[in-house]
Amino acid sequence: MNRRFLLAAFALSALGATACGRPFDVKTAPGFIELDDQAPSYDYRAMTPEGVVMGVRALDVDDKGDLAFWARAITLRFRQANGYALVGTSDVESRDKTAGKELDFGHDESGKPYTYRVRLFRSQNRLFIAEAGGTKEQMERYKDTIDWMLSSVRVKCGSFLYPELASHTCNKW
Amino acid sequence: MRLKKLVMGAGIAALSASMVACGGAPAMAPSVSASPPGQPYGGGGAAAAPMATPASVQLYSTQSEASDSSERDAPDAKVADNTPAPVAPNRPPPPPPNAAQPKPPPVAQDAPHVISMLIYTATLNLAVFQVTEQMDKVESIGRAIGGYLAVRNDTQITIRVPRERFDEALGQIEKLGDVLHRSVTAEDVTDQFMDLEVRLKNARAVRDQLQALLAKAGVKDALEIEKELGRVTESIEVMEGKLKLLRDKIAFSTITVTFQPVETQTVRDTTLPFPWLQELGLSSLLNVH
Repeated sequence: MNRRFLLAAFALSALGATACGRPFDVKTAPGFIELDDQAPSYDYRAMTPEGVVMGVRALDVDDKGDLAFWARAITLRFRQANGYALVGTSDVESRDKTAGKELDFGHDESGKPYTYRVRLFRSQNRLFIAEAGGTKEQMERYKDTIDWMLSSVRVKCGSFLYPELASHTCNKW
Repeated sequence: MRLKKLVMGAGIAALSASMVACGGAPAMAPSVSASPPGQPYGGGGAAAAPMATPASVQLYSTQSEASDSSERDAPDAKVADNTPAPVAPNRPPPPPPNAAQPKPPPVAQDAPHVISMLIYTATLNLAVFQVTEQMDKVESIGRAIGGYLAVRNDTQITIRVPRERFDEALGQIEKLGDVLHRSVTAEDVTDQFMDLEVRLKNARAVRDQLQALLAKAGVKDALEIEKELGRVTESIEVMEGKLKLLRDKIAFSTITVTFQPVETQTVRDTTLPFPWLQELGLSSLLNVH
């Protein structure tokens, strides 16, 4: 009985990990819908009817650059080249306690103020970028939901016996 | 014939005086002594009237101090700091000579600051966020400290503020948003200012002489004198205009705030070779499919 159960659990987990194909985990909050087929630019993207979008990318950067390096590179890129205002920065943690950095930007698009939040995590020789953006007004309205979604991101490889195995096993098997 | 010679003579005298004056401050003395009695120094009586602000007055009154070339050439700490010069106190009397004690070597910081004719200009690049709101605030700051709006369009605003409150205005504007680039320049126009003043004074002296000659001249000579008088009057008006413009530029500093990225070649050169880095941003995130 025990043997059968273990085998079944193992098979299900393996199937789930293969099907998921994402080396991270993120929860979609009520009010958002997850969009299909967002590759290659995004590994995950979800949005609200009002156009607030949350996305996650996992980029293979090997051992190139630590968290501070990429935070600086992205800040420079947005401020100098795109004219984004750096509204704030803060140290954050993913749901699996991986240290990260949040960069909050502001930018006008077609004369309207927009807010853009970026969370960076370094794990698995990858750079994980969780982004959320929309009009300033809508971003303020969805602030709690976006905070919750950004905080739900896991970037570490899960252990075999972890309950949410399928979505964060890094496709190692 | 005699009148012709007089006209020519007066012109040559004025020209030579101007040329000497253009060469440096020491020429100020002969120029002043050449003025007709009763004429205000530098012809500045009327021209100086628009200098209503205390700073402007101080600037004007320190011209003679600035004429000392050794002082003018002294390093100007204020210029290096990019901050407007403070209102100059009266120059203290020179200390009594003391042969026993050697003078300490002159240090730039110890040198008395000379109020120069400085035109301050600042250019700020602010991030493109809440532009309209921030432009309104820039305009309000300008007005609140006694300045005025010079130019405003979709991405840029230029205000002019009293020179003595230039730093204050700049500080307040910098707090409004994310400053991407800041540039402050101080242009010293002391030479230009003095040169114009001396030339103007001499031109006025020539005009007075011509008017005196005209009063005595016959019909034939009067035509030539009037022609010359017209030319001199025209040049006086041009110089007065230039002086007025310079005074305005000195009295009011210009601050231009641009809301756009710093588009320089440097940014392109230093971009990291990761294509995804270029793809990041609102347009990419919000362009869902």
